[in-house]
Amino acid sequence: MEVYGRSKDMAQASKMQRERKKRWKNASPVPDIEDPIKELSMGLHLKNFQLIITDILDATKTTKTYRLKLAPNFELKRLPLFRAGQYLSVKVNVDGVKVTRPYSISSAPSDILEDGFYELTIKIKDDGFLSTEFFEKWKTGNIVSVSGPHGNMYFDDLRDSNEIVGIAGGSGITPFRSIIREIVAQKLDLKLTVLYGSRHEDDIIFAEELSNLAGKLPDKIKVVNICSEPSENWSGPSGFINAELIKKYAGPIEGKTFFICGPQAMYEFLEKEIQNLNIPNRRIRRELYGQPDNITMNPKYPVEFKDKTFNIIVRIGNKIETIKASATESVLVSLERAGIGVDSQCRSGECGFCRSLLISGDIFVNNEIDGRRAGDKKFGFFHPCSSYLLSDLEIKIPSFKFVKFSPIK
Amino acid sequence: MSSTIHKSSSFDSSYDVVVIGAGLGGLGAALNLALSQKSVLLLEQHNLPGGFASSFVRGRFEFEISLHEMCAVGPPEGPLKGPIRYILHDESSVDVEFVPVPEAYHLILTGKEHKVNVKLPFGVENFIDTVCSAVPETPRESLVKYFDLCRECSEALTFVARSKGNIDYKILMAKYASFLTTSGYSAAEVTNKFGFPKKTLDLLYPYSCYMGLPASRLDFTIWASLLHLYITQGAYIPKGTSHQMCAAIDARIRELGGQTEYNNRVQSILVENNKVIGVETDDGEKIKTNYVITNCSPHLVYGKLISPANAVPEEAYKLNNSRRLGVSAFVVYMGLDASPKDLNLESYGYFISPHMDTEKINKSMLQCENMPDLTASICLNNAIPNCSPPGTTILSITTAFGIDIWKNITPETYFATKNKLARQMIEQVSKALDSPISEHIEEIEVATPQTFSRYTGSFKGGVYGYDLDPWDSLVIRSQVKNKEEFFKGLEFAGGFAAMGHGYNSSLLSGRQAARSVLWKMKKEGG
Repeated sequence: MEVYGRSKDMAQASKMQRERKKRWKNASPVPDIEDPIKELSMGLHLKNFQLIITDILDATKTTKTYRLKLAPNFELKRLPLFRAGQYLSVKVNVDGVKVTRPYSISSAPSDILEDGFYELTIKIKDDGFLSTEFFEKWKTGNIVSVSGPHGNMYFDDLRDSNEIVGIAGGSGITPFRSIIREIVAQKLDLKLTVLYGSRHEDDIIFAEELSNLAGKLPDKIKVVNICSEPSENWSGPSGFINAELIKKYAGPIEGKTFFICGPQAMYEFLEKEIQNLNIPNRRIRRELYGQPDNITMNPKYPVEFKDKTFNIIVRIGNKIETIKASATESVLVSLERAGIGVDSQCRSGECGFCRSLLISGDIFVNNEIDGRRAGDKKFGFFHPCSSYLLSDLEIKIPSFKFVKFSPIK
Repeated sequence: MSSTIHKSSSFDSSYDVVVIGAGLGGLGAALNLALSQKSVLLLEQHNLPGGFASSFVRGRFEFEISLHEMCAVGPPEGPLKGPIRYILHDESSVDVEFVPVPEAYHLILTGKEHKVNVKLPFGVENFIDTVCSAVPETPRESLVKYFDLCRECSEALTFVARSKGNIDYKILMAKYASFLTTSGYSAAEVTNKFGFPKKTLDLLYPYSCYMGLPASRLDFTIWASLLHLYITQGAYIPKGTSHQMCAAIDARIRELGGQTEYNNRVQSILVENNKVIGVETDDGEKIKTNYVITNCSPHLVYGKLISPANAVPEEAYKLNNSRRLGVSAFVVYMGLDASPKDLNLESYGYFISPHMDTEKINKSMLQCENMPDLTASICLNNAIPNCSPPGTTILSITTAFGIDIWKNITPETYFATKNKLARQMIEQVSKALDSPISEHIEEIEVATPQTFSRYTGSFKGGVYGYDLDPWDSLVIRSQVKNKEEFFKGLEFAGGFAAMGHGYNSSLLSGRQAARSVLWKMKKEGG
């Protein structure tokens, strides 16, 4: 084979070698380390950053809205932007016990552009780790460590209909408040009807604000409050959100996308109702509700294990610790109780951030959301946040030394 | 509850070799070192192995992140068995299964002047038959000669790689004369000599898109080798996604006594007198070693990792700056609630474009106002039917962008930009295949250069190493490798190493780096 004649062809390779040398010789000696894509990335997500509480508002008797801005010493141009509906993973250190909690951002992305804040609206309840006293210690000026924003429950025009039906329960209203504020601020071409279930009318979060926002754009936004145990003065719909109420307030089901966010009990009730409505899978997005309050309520949970305690041998690199764990708490919670700092995000089995190696032992995996990759199942990896002990375990967890958990004093 | 601490350090105080990054290069290196019974520590900043060779789960779907098809795997037995299969199965007993891809590619050109809808098969003869029947004016004998030349170049490249810098030119001259006369030219320069009609070239060139360069810049030898290997050996994918393959390699490394640690970012490679002495993790833990194999780019290694920074010679920065960073990718992943049949998706891999002019295609990747001309789509179910639940389909559509093209995208414009481009790509594929894709999207994710940067830390969000121009070809790289080692004990693996990017090259480069370290250890009597 000859390209331009044998002698020229035979010299071509050396010519190219000289070309390379020439380019090397003439190149700039200044290291090229500028990375605009990394900068873009940091404007959208961060593994760990610090916020400061600037305001606290009582949303209801048991719910507070915390306004958070960038902590003064944290070098960043602006808070990472997000898609309305996403959450932050909050990392706190309670008397040496490091825990994380996912909270939907209740403010809108446009609030960052205008005023540089996120808002988290949190129902103050004792969940075993974070007590009501803990939240009382969360004061203006406190630093809060977070990661994110994360999460998959947001409107995506490639997938979703622009007619959305939101079904919210309790503090599950928070992502919808974000979406509603965004529709108003950005004049989005989006229609949203939210059916919002609360127990009493006193428990309705953002009642006035959402009604005002809906009033501004009555063709686009509708919020229907439904109380399960209202007072005598309540004139609105009552009971649990069911197929009938959905049909009544959301109109025809065809062509609409459903977003659901609320407590575990609401999902359990709604699943049957939704089946009656024949909504295709692709038209339903569910926000995760975090770890279940009580795993023994899962019909597949082997109840004979419920009172047992086991040992876990925990490896982090070459470090080895042995801890005691109760069968009805997730492996992640057991690690946290033992003071082993494990980072996590969704705490629902989905995101895989706490992915760890199961060296030996048996676990029950909460089947409701098993986000494990096929290869991970095959090679013994598991998600501690959605796994429960059925025997003593030996596990290897990744180290998360770089994550700051902010202590609250 | 109580806890007992038995042992308090995460790492041993020293290792024979520390590997930075568990991409395919790092995994390949650590695997070979563990197999050779060296103490090896593999450190990865992410919580998963694989780098781009990974997967993610959304709803009831598990998506392949970057793999289209692997080269150099070949059938399980016989003369066409490839080096990847040999290394993973025969040499290292890794528990991975490969599934053949049914056809080379399904090419659809939608332009006015030349409409094409042809499925190109594997096997040189079948391939040539298909090209000649689709474009009857193809000079068949020239095409046969062309494939013969590709075979010769591919075999010569293997010969050169095995010579480790001490090439026997007598053998090269006698057996691979045409390799020598074509080496240093671009794919276009050599191919144009065959006088193929443009319509024939349209059918021949699609694979070149995998290299991210137009035919006028892509080194002929690598192109010839790629075409030859794909068409003769076929293409394969690992069963259960490439994450499963990487998890299998990770498991095997540990089984052989190697240590793999995730969520451990290396902050610095410590050097003294131009010699590697250890690494330091991001929380300040120092680990002693005389050998570091890095899966990171030289840009990152010389620009940020070497400590002290003033130990880096100016020559290293200049070398980095003289080379061209390869492209980044843009991928739309979809889980669809209809079967491939209902979606009119009959093939595994599609190349779709208005035309197959590689210059024009490359130019269209240098802006992000609109989608580039060419997309490469994969319908995973057509290689692995049960990869998603019955009645569903996994479809991904990929295109590429030049490395700096996304630099002016801001967080405010990011989501709109990515959705606009994704929508255009879905429309292109829908229209070309008469497929009602958008009516069936149950899950969708879009990965941009930003996404690749976020998860892998790759420089500027690139997914490839340095471009394979004729002046930076594999042959030249293998000849100059020794002269470009600025630190004793430091080796590169992965897409930025001498063998170039791609799944098989990255994996093989890891093994090559490990062999190089082992040879140096032996020489030092260690």
